[in-house]
Amino acid sequence: MRKVLLVVTLLLACLTLAQLAANVPRHETFIANQLTGRVGTPGNFNLWAGWRWQDRGIQNLLLEPLWCVEYATGEIINALAAEPPIYNADFTELTIKLRKGVYWSDGVPFTADDVVYTIELVKKVPGMSYNAQMQSVAEVKKIDDYTVVLKLTEPNSRFHTYLLDRWGALRILPKHVFEKVEDPMTFEFNPPVGTGPYVLKAYDPGGYWTLWELREDWQRTPTGMLYGKPAPKYVLIQTFGTAEQQVLAMARHELDAADLTMEGLRAVLQRVNTARAWRRDYPWTVNIDPCVTGLHFNNAIEPFNNREVRWALTLAIDIVEYAANAFDGAVTLSPIHIPLTSAYYDWYFTRIEEWLKSFELDIGDGQKFKPYDPTAGQRLAEYARKRGYKVPTDPEEIKKIFGPGWYKYAPDVAEKLLIKNGFKRDPKTGKWLLPDGKPWTITILTTTNPAHPSYRNGFAASQAWKKFGIDVTVMTSDALATLGQRGEFEVTTDWPAAEPWGGHPDLFRVLDPFSSQYLVPIGENAPWGNYGRWSNPKMDSVIAKLKDTDWNDTESIINVGLEGLKLLIEEMPTIPTFNYPGVVAWDEYYWTNYPGAENMYCQPYHHWPNFKYMLPFLKPTGRK
Amino acid sequence: MRFFKTYLLPRILMYFLVIVVGVTIVFIIPRLLPIDPIQQMIGQITSTGAYLDPKTLDYMIETLKELYGLKGTLWEQYWGFWRRLFKGDFGPSYFQFPVPVISLIRQSLPWTLGLLLTTTVVSWILGNVLGALGGYFPQKSWAKILDVISMVIRPMPYYVLALSLLLLFAYLIPIFPLGGGFLIGGRISFDLRSILILLKHAFLPAMSLILIGVFLWFQAMKLVVQSVKNEDFVSYARLGGLSQSKIVSRYVMRNAMLPQITGLALSLGQIFSGALITEIVFSYPGLGTLLYNAIFTGDYNLLMGIMTMSIFVITTSILVIDLLYPIFDPRVRYR
Repeated sequence: MRKVLLVVTLLLACLTLAQLAANVPRHETFIANQLTGRVGTPGNFNLWAGWRWQDRGIQNLLLEPLWCVEYATGEIINALAAEPPIYNADFTELTIKLRKGVYWSDGVPFTADDVVYTIELVKKVPGMSYNAQMQSVAEVKKIDDYTVVLKLTEPNSRFHTYLLDRWGALRILPKHVFEKVEDPMTFEFNPPVGTGPYVLKAYDPGGYWTLWELREDWQRTPTGMLYGKPAPKYVLIQTFGTAEQQVLAMARHELDAADLTMEGLRAVLQRVNTARAWRRDYPWTVNIDPCVTGLHFNNAIEPFNNREVRWALTLAIDIVEYAANAFDGAVTLSPIHIPLTSAYYDWYFTRIEEWLKSFELDIGDGQKFKPYDPTAGQRLAEYARKRGYKVPTDPEEIKKIFGPGWYKYAPDVAEKLLIKNGFKRDPKTGKWLLPDGKPWTITILTTTNPAHPSYRNGFAASQAWKKFGIDVTVMTSDALATLGQRGEFEVTTDWPAAEPWGGHPDLFRVLDPFSSQYLVPIGENAPWGNYGRWSNPKMDSVIAKLKDTDWNDTESIINVGLEGLKLLIEEMPTIPTFNYPGVVAWDEYYWTNYPGAENMYCQPYHHWPNFKYMLPFLKPTGRK
Repeated sequence: MRFFKTYLLPRILMYFLVIVVGVTIVFIIPRLLPIDPIQQMIGQITSTGAYLDPKTLDYMIETLKELYGLKGTLWEQYWGFWRRLFKGDFGPSYFQFPVPVISLIRQSLPWTLGLLLTTTVVSWILGNVLGALGGYFPQKSWAKILDVISMVIRPMPYYVLALSLLLLFAYLIPIFPLGGGFLIGGRISFDLRSILILLKHAFLPAMSLILIGVFLWFQAMKLVVQSVKNEDFVSYARLGGLSQSKIVSRYVMRNAMLPQITGLALSLGQIFSGALITEIVFSYPGLGTLLYNAIFTGDYNLLMGIMTMSIFVITTSILVIDLLYPIFDPRVRYR
């Protein structure tokens, strides 16, 4: 009888609704979903040896980088580094000053030895992440416990950006752990040791969750020193199989912050009283994501190798209708090849706006056309208002939310440009024919994920160009990355340019992929940001100037960056459309003061490395 | 000796031939895909916004080709694959380099085996018993009710069924967890409490698979029984005065079981491909998501590892069933 009672008691205990183990109180735990999905290597935390699902907490809780980009405030955070990078005059030497008083989670002090060892090890072992990049280090020297000097094989004014965390960087590993390891590639680094504020508590051997606990000595981490004590004692990063499951979890208050689909977000906002998005009202989406979406022409093939054809296709887009088809208008338009985050708006857009207004296209017969429409954002806001959404009336606020402007919807001008280049309409069908008389068909290559902004861009573009009289097909493929790099596409929805840093005005990583030195024929690997294989001698000279400009010389960096952006607009090798509309929601049932549009102290993605810098600002509601 | 020559030997030869051909196809097919493992890896890195310096791109690609073993000719890679296979080694996963494929399979296999082995066997037994009874006594009211339930559940898309169960038992009547294989923050140990927690987490995924599985077997068995029960030997048994239960169990079911046994062997073999949708809907660990990720990341070695195991288990199951057939079916024995 006693055995039966024991079984029944256990059964009842197991059937209770505990989501977490008894020693992990829910009200002391912050739960976020994992962006990159189920971890394939649950027991392996060695992110220096390859892809290890670093957003499971490795980059966002366990480790601190030397520097970290904060795009919400437009700053570079000195984390393990004590100050910005110091280069010598010809950029062949980089000095890194380190923060004092930082300790690894196992109690060993963090010093210059760790930095020297990391760079030497990564350079030596093929296959380690950043092995290729570290080949340009001739020598790395410890000057004292908190100063490291790197001698480079050739001038490189941006070498430190390999160590600058923007969802990826060479992070410093613990020398005292790795020096005892025979093979750093097969080493699992479990339990992991870090310089960040959290340590591993438990993980799912099936790969669906990882639980982290606040370090007792959190004061000895850069997070603690810069921002104070992180509020949650535990952080759980969990993978949910479907968007529906995430919505249900939020409805049960079992998920505090999540990346969602637009449909999922609407369901959460309807169902969960305590949930909210980046903006409390429409358009809800994060408009400060440091990434601009759009369309990418293959400039290596006809007719996309013709600037006027590319411009004709741009002017055949009614951007309001396009944004409505893509995201029901919940986006921030960007007419330039960088996203209009608050920082870039101030650094770049305000300085390029006048030029955009006066920029002219030659449309033939001596006629000029000014393509820029400074009212596009206003028109998009008007669309939203007509749809019944609550939209602000202040023009400045509208500019920040919906974007300042875009290009005019001018199918008549697009027609002139095409006719000027030998295109004509089929008299029977009215559809466009190529200069050789064949019907003009365009295939847009995009991702298979219908919720992704790439996919939405693909279908919105197909609608716009079909309306203009071109036969357009959208091809979705899981081989997008391969086909893109090889240039096996006509138009793809890969980003129109490599993503900028977000928190720094330097556009080197946006413009450098356009350098002619990386130009390769179709079938070979093109660099990210220029799968479209466009180059221009003027761009080469802009890149050369930027290379010679010091990272800390903000004014000069912006001026050179503007030259690059203007050239991209003149040539339009790719079309920027709107900022990546991040769809995130968070539940204020257990925690408040998560950063939102009106409280932008930090970027809002929990999978970013900056998540640890946000945690000290969270406030518990006291609910249990 | 005659049995060995005419029955056993051809089947064993066919068994090895199927494995060689199957494994060869598994080697070739991923290489015909437009997906390149290195470019997919680069795509993964850049898709999250991490900076990949164009200057270092070629160096990185060459290093990875060398490490992944993709530098030789296709023939060299093919023979290398067989050499490794004989040692029980599928090589490293490309996407999770240098983690060995075998250790990735080892992590996921117990979950898949635990879930799918149980649900396949339970569905098979329940479905066949109910199908036999429903087919033999079609006019009974319980048989009609079973028919209606089967007609509702069978055509239902599995995803909808699984999601409905989740909504019902994890949200509206929240007695089961939303997902996962075990309590978050807990550690699996071999005690009663752990087992009960494991069962609680496996209940909804198992229920969804059993519901679909039972009625699949139910309908198939019912059709076979309806045909068998009109055979002369059944009429003869009935006229001979044998009891209903004896006729159903000894005469009808036993004859109707033969195609179902082959079906069971195939189902057991397919376990090694995992249950992708179940794993996704219930966030349940297993081989399904591992295989899916291997396909779209171009992780040839992982793909080949899982598929080779699947081929091996399916062919072995069929061989075993073939060898056991004479026991079930005297006609084969006396042929």
